[in-house]
Amino acid sequence: MPTLVDLLERVSFLAAMPAVAGIFVTAGILVVSRDWRINSLALTVQYFFVVLLLSRLIRLEVAAVKGLIGWLICMVFYLTERRVSTLEQPSPVEESTMALRRWSRWIISAQASFYLLAGILISVAAYTAALRIPLPEVPGDITLACYLLAGLGLLLVGLSDNPMQVGLGLLTFLSGFELFYVALEPSLAIAGLLGAVSFLIALAAAYLRTAQIAASREAVS
Amino acid sequence: MISGALLLLILPLVMAGVVYGLLRWASLSALLSVGTALVLGIAAVALPLDQPVQLWGSRQIEMGEAVTFLGRELVLEQADRMAMAVLFFTAAGVFFLAWRFAPHSLLLPMGLGLLSLLSGALLIRPLIYAALLVEIAAALSVFALQSEKGPPTKGGLRYLTFTTLALPGLLVIHWLLERYTLTPDETELLSMAAILLAVSFALLLGVVPFHTWVSTITNDSVPLASAFVLTISNGTIWFLLLDFLETYPWLSNHPRFVPIVATGGLAMVIVGALLAPAQRKPGSLMGYGALVDSGAALLALAMNSESGLTLVILSLLARPFGLILMAAGLSGLRTHSGGDDSFDALRGIGWKAPWSTAAFVFGGLSVAGLPISAGFIWRWPLCRALASSNQSSVLLLLLAGVGVMAGVWRTLSTLLIRPRSPQDRSVISRSSSEGWLTAAVVIVAIMLCVGAGLFPQYLAPLAASLAKTYTFFTP
Repeated sequence: MPTLVDLLERVSFLAAMPAVAGIFVTAGILVVSRDWRINSLALTVQYFFVVLLLSRLIRLEVAAVKGLIGWLICMVFYLTERRVSTLEQPSPVEESTMALRRWSRWIISAQASFYLLAGILISVAAYTAALRIPLPEVPGDITLACYLLAGLGLLLVGLSDNPMQVGLGLLTFLSGFELFYVALEPSLAIAGLLGAVSFLIALAAAYLRTAQIAASREAVS
Repeated sequence: MISGALLLLILPLVMAGVVYGLLRWASLSALLSVGTALVLGIAAVALPLDQPVQLWGSRQIEMGEAVTFLGRELVLEQADRMAMAVLFFTAAGVFFLAWRFAPHSLLLPMGLGLLSLLSGALLIRPLIYAALLVEIAAALSVFALQSEKGPPTKGGLRYLTFTTLALPGLLVIHWLLERYTLTPDETELLSMAAILLAVSFALLLGVVPFHTWVSTITNDSVPLASAFVLTISNGTIWFLLLDFLETYPWLSNHPRFVPIVATGGLAMVIVGALLAPAQRKPGSLMGYGALVDSGAALLALAMNSESGLTLVILSLLARPFGLILMAAGLSGLRTHSGGDDSFDALRGIGWKAPWSTAAFVFGGLSVAGLPISAGFIWRWPLCRALASSNQSSVLLLLLAGVGVMAGVWRTLSTLLIRPRSPQDRSVISRSSSEGWLTAAVVIVAIMLCVGAGLFPQYLAPLAASLAKTYTFFTP
């Protein structure tokens, strides 16, 4: 049976511009979408592309461990939101309007259009920054990925005060920074502590999300 | 042989677990928390650094012995031991008031855990590890800041966000300075490091325009937990800043050091002074009071002298007296108004909760820097020191104190509105609903605050001796 490292080696041909494109798409989805299922999936795929790029800078095993931490974080988000959606179970009438609203949100939502436009603007700024201010010790495509992740992560933090959105934004921002920093400081201790930081941010966001739902249920009752 | 550094890291962590298990017994958990913080504070300040001390049986403890953590050495040095004693004694004060004002809250176990992390941040070298430990502490603070039944704390989230944004700068500085030692011709590396350091510490200290987390954290979080962040976590950041300045003395000799620090400090004082009296929630008022206090400390640092440094350290010693007292009062007021601290909800609450009101008002006096309060003992010398060179700063500092005091006065007048019966008669209850134990705790805290203001000769020499351990301002 192939190990995780073997699997990553097999897809290492993607670890260049395709991975950067993947990061652009997944971070863009995180900015535009407010559906927790799509966001959990986008974050999972984003960590996959980040690991691919990391594998060019550090040992594959260390990159794989970072990926595992990322996917554990996705699991925390998924389970929290799943629990929240169960607690928020709407009535049958509300459910039909919710389904309609979910689709209409994608078609005509002014909010989603604004987020998309802001995301595109940030991406253009990241591209320009990657050309004008290249980061030391990392190749050009990884510089672009770092700027994209940091910029779109910051945008995500600024666009919402929902704990999960802010958590996703902070983790995206940190992924961008880690991608750059592993080239400067490939120490295992630092990698471990940065992993712990990411995991604790995810736990804090999940804790606040449950507090949010508990407070809204209390207000209703 | 037990290493002192290890004791300061492990004991609070172990006690955090024990206290979490005993959280349902409010008095026991508070007693253990206060006891742990006091014991560690006394150990940090009283046990000798260079010789072992017999504890029990054949066990010995040596405070100055180095210990290795993550391949890095942790050593308790003279400057760190005083800084840590300040943090531990402040934590003891927070836990003591939490006994009556935030029983059963996660503040006690989380606070002990945070003490362990923040101690590690002060002990570990190089400083990049300290930045990571501070970030982990910020993430854990969210659990303490979130109230049990309230909506999610935006303040906690913002605090975490700003700390996360500060992290990259602090980590990259280390690499830039290492590279500079290899290629001393590249002076732009130093400029880049200085800019990153300034922005990172501005984010961590809540310097305008990165100040939004300060007032939000006091507005919607557990008040004593926000006081913990603004005194203990913030105090650690201050000591880390001083460590940075000590490690890289060219930073304080940089020609732009004084103007940048002074501008940051003045901006905080002005914003705090303008916004404090306009607040309609005592929680936000507390945040803007803390902003003025931090701004004044930056003005003291901008004096670029040993006396300025002494005033900075004195501010770190005096600030907890006011802020913790204010937070305890706010906590009591929120409890009596059903969790809402808007002026509408607080009308007349002062008659039901006189001790919480007293705590809030006396804490506010200290944060405003008024006489016979702890805050006065460093604000007044600061005004006198600045008077010869920078009169406009002195005027702004005094006006900022008046601004915070105006906010406290507005809150007090709302709290003391007389409740009236339908027959338009005053219906003030003669008995307080707070209990004698709460009253005793508040009286002790107020006496300590006023005592620190009346007898500055006990705190000032401590600050002066701590300032002497830093040599970067010595000519």
